[in-house]
Amino acid sequence: MVLKSLKYTLKTALTTTEVTRLYPEVMMELPANERGIHELDATTCIGCGSCARICPNSCIEMVPYKYGNPLKNRKMQFPQIDYGRCTFCGLCVDECPVSCLKMGKKTEIAGWERKDIVYGPDRIAVKKFSEKEVAELEAEAKRQAEEKKKAAAAAAKEKAAKAKGKENKAKAKPDEGGEA
Amino acid sequence: MSAIQSAFPGAVLESRVESDRRLWITVDPKRLVEITQFLRDKKDFDHYSGAAGVDRINENLFEVVEILTSHGAHQVVVLMKVKVPRDKPSVRSLTGLYWNANWYEREIWEMFGINFEGHPELYPLLLPDELVGYWPWRKDFKGYPDTTTGERAIEQVGPDGYTEFKIMPHTELIKAGVLPERPKYPTFREREEAEIKSDSEMIMHMGPQHAIVPGPFLLDLLIEGERVKKAFLDVGYIHKGIEKIMENRTYLQGIVYTDRMCYLASITNNEAYCGAVERLLGITPPERAQYIRVILAELSRIQSHLLGTGEFLTLLGAATYSPFQYMIIDREDIVYLMESITGARITHTFVRFGGVRNDLPDGFADKARPILKRMRERTEEYMDLLHSDPIYTRRMRGIGVLSPGDARRLGVSGPPLRASDTPYDMRREDPILVYPDLDFKVVTRKAGDAEARVEVRLEEILESIHIIEQCLDQIPDGPIQEKLPKKIKPEPGEAYYRVEDPRGEMGIYVVSDGSEKPYRVKVRGPVYAYMQALPPLLEGAYVADVVAIAGSMDACTSEVDR
Repeated sequence: MVLKSLKYTLKTALTTTEVTRLYPEVMMELPANERGIHELDATTCIGCGSCARICPNSCIEMVPYKYGNPLKNRKMQFPQIDYGRCTFCGLCVDECPVSCLKMGKKTEIAGWERKDIVYGPDRIAVKKFSEKEVAELEAEAKRQAEEKKKAAAAAAKEKAAKAKGKENKAKAKPDEGGEA
Repeated sequence: MSAIQSAFPGAVLESRVESDRRLWITVDPKRLVEITQFLRDKKDFDHYSGAAGVDRINENLFEVVEILTSHGAHQVVVLMKVKVPRDKPSVRSLTGLYWNANWYEREIWEMFGINFEGHPELYPLLLPDELVGYWPWRKDFKGYPDTTTGERAIEQVGPDGYTEFKIMPHTELIKAGVLPERPKYPTFREREEAEIKSDSEMIMHMGPQHAIVPGPFLLDLLIEGERVKKAFLDVGYIHKGIEKIMENRTYLQGIVYTDRMCYLASITNNEAYCGAVERLLGITPPERAQYIRVILAELSRIQSHLLGTGEFLTLLGAATYSPFQYMIIDREDIVYLMESITGARITHTFVRFGGVRNDLPDGFADKARPILKRMRERTEEYMDLLHSDPIYTRRMRGIGVLSPGDARRLGVSGPPLRASDTPYDMRREDPILVYPDLDFKVVTRKAGDAEARVEVRLEEILESIHIIEQCLDQIPDGPIQEKLPKKIKPEPGEAYYRVEDPRGEMGIYVVSDGSEKPYRVKVRGPVYAYMQALPPLLEGAYVADVVAIAGSMDACTSEVDR
C-alpha cells in the first residue's frame, strides 16, 4: 500500500511542472488587476480627499505636494498613504472621481522604520509635472484667478448698479464659494 | 404561520412576513419558552441557528432575536424578538429546549448584560474577566478603561523592583461607586478543577498554542488513563470586536472587516454581509454579477477545503506522500484564478452592494477550464489515495462519530452535519443568487465519523468544479453593478441573510436605523457551532484521537472570536 502512495509521489515528481518560486530573483507573474502599491497620477488629481474619507483604517492623509496640477487641485493637497495600516482593500481606488489613484503590481514595501513605509505623494506618483511646468501652470492659475476676480468684481459692480442693498450681498456669496 | 397566533392569543405583539422564507415576530417575554416549544415540537423548528442582542437605547429597551430554522422539513426562518426593559433586563433561557443555545446566550450576557433565567453556566465566553460587568456592546459603553478620562494602564512598582502595568481599576474607585460592580462567578480554572474527582484524573492542556489548533484556543482535557472524561474549551484569545467596529464604520467600509473574520472564506463572508444590506436596500444585483459571485464563492470553497484537508492530514502524520504539499500546489492554481479576478489573494473585498467590484478578466474561461479539469483529476486521485491507505483508514474510521440526531441537536452545520446523513445545505435550503438555476447535488455520508467528514469535503470540491463549469457556460453579458446612490442609507429595518460558507451556515443579521452606519451587525458563524459541539464529541475518546476529531472539524478560531 505504501508502494501505491509512492507511485503517486513519483508520478507527481515526474509530471508536475516547476513549483518552487525563485522569489527574490524572479518575481511571480501578477495578474493585470493586482492590488499592490498605489499609483498616483498627480497631473489629474483634484485633491478632493474622497480617498481619505472612505479609507476604513484612515491610513490616507492629504499632504501638500508641489508637482501637481494647480489648475485642478487649487490647494495642492495629495494623498499620502501609511502602508503600516493599509489593508489593500481598494476602496480608495473605487471612490476616486477622476480615476487618478490606481493600484499597481509593486508589492514590496519593507522598511527599517515605521516612517519608511509612509509613502508620500512623491513616492506613489507615477505621473507628475516638472518644476517648469508647474510654474507655468501656476502662472496660468493666477491669471485665471485674477480674471475671475475681475469678472466677479465687474459682475458685482453691475449688480450693485442694478439693485441696491440686500440682493447684492446674497449674490456675492456664491461667487466667493466657487473660487475657493 | 398564523398557527402561532391562533395557538397563543395575545402573545404575539407584532409580526411581519418578509418573504416566504422569513418571518419576523415579536413575542411576549413571559411566554417565550412556551412558544418556542410549540414551534420546536409542532412546527419542526428543530435547528436553533443563533441569537443576537440589540441595544435600543432610544426606546430604553433590549431586544433579543432568536433565530429558528428547520433541518429540511421546511425552509422558513423565524426571527423571534423579545423586548425587555433596559434596567434589570432578564429573559428566559432556551437552553432547556435547544442544547446549543448555551454559547449564544452566554455571549449576549457578557456583551449586553442581559440575564438569562435558568441558564446553567452564565460565565464569560469571549471577554477577559476584567471586562465583564462593563457590557461593552451596549450603546452607552465608553471604552475600557474609560476613554473620557484617558486613563490607560496603571503603572505599579512592586517590592522586588519590577514595574507592572495593570489595567485593573483601583479598589478606591470601586469603593467610591464610580465603576460598576462585577458579577461573581467561578473562573475557568476553578470550574475545571471542580471536576477532578479522584487522584487518577488529571488535566492536560492543549493550546492556546498547539499544533492542532488553527488559531489560539484552549482545549483542556480531563483524562483518566488514555480516555478523555471531559473536555473544556476556552475561546476568545483573539477577540477583535469586529461587530462593534462595524457599527462605527459606514456600510461600505464594513465589507473590509468581513474579510478579516476568516480569510479562507472571505468571499462568502462578503457575500453574507452584502446580501443582508441588499435586502435592506431592496435591490438585487444584475445577473452577470450574480454569476461572478457564484464562481468566486465556489472557488473559495475549493481552496478552503484543500487547505483544510491538507493541513489536517499533516497533523495526522501522513508524511509518506505529503498530501499537504500536493494540496498547496493545487490550491495555488485556484488562488491564482481568484487573484486574477479580484486582485488579492485572500482578503478580497470584492462583493459590493448590488454587484461586484470588477468584471472577469478577458479569457478567464479559457484559463479556468484546464485548471478545473486538472483539479478534478487530482481530487479523484486524493480520494483514491486516502481510501486505499490502511493506516489512514484505521486512524479515521469510526472515530468521533456524530449520529444524525446528535449532529442536529449540537447545532453543527456544513460538512460535519452532511457527513452525518443530513442533507442540509444553504444553497438548497435558502437559495441565493443563481443557485436555483444550477445543477448540483448535496454530498452526504452515512457514517458521521472523521473519515466521512474528509470525504464530504473532497467530494464537495468536485461538485464545486461542476458548478463553476456550468457558470462559465451560462454566464450572460451585461452590467455588473446596480446603480446606487452615492451615500448608502438604508431605511430603518433589519435583515438576515444566510450563505453556505465552506464550513457551513454563515448568517449575518444587520439592523439599520436609517443612518450611514449599521446600528448592529451580528455574525452567526459556522465554526462557532462546531467549537461548541467539540467538548461533548471528545468525551470518551482516546487522547491520540483528539487530533483526528478536532482536526476533522476544520475549525477557524478567528471566526469564532470575531
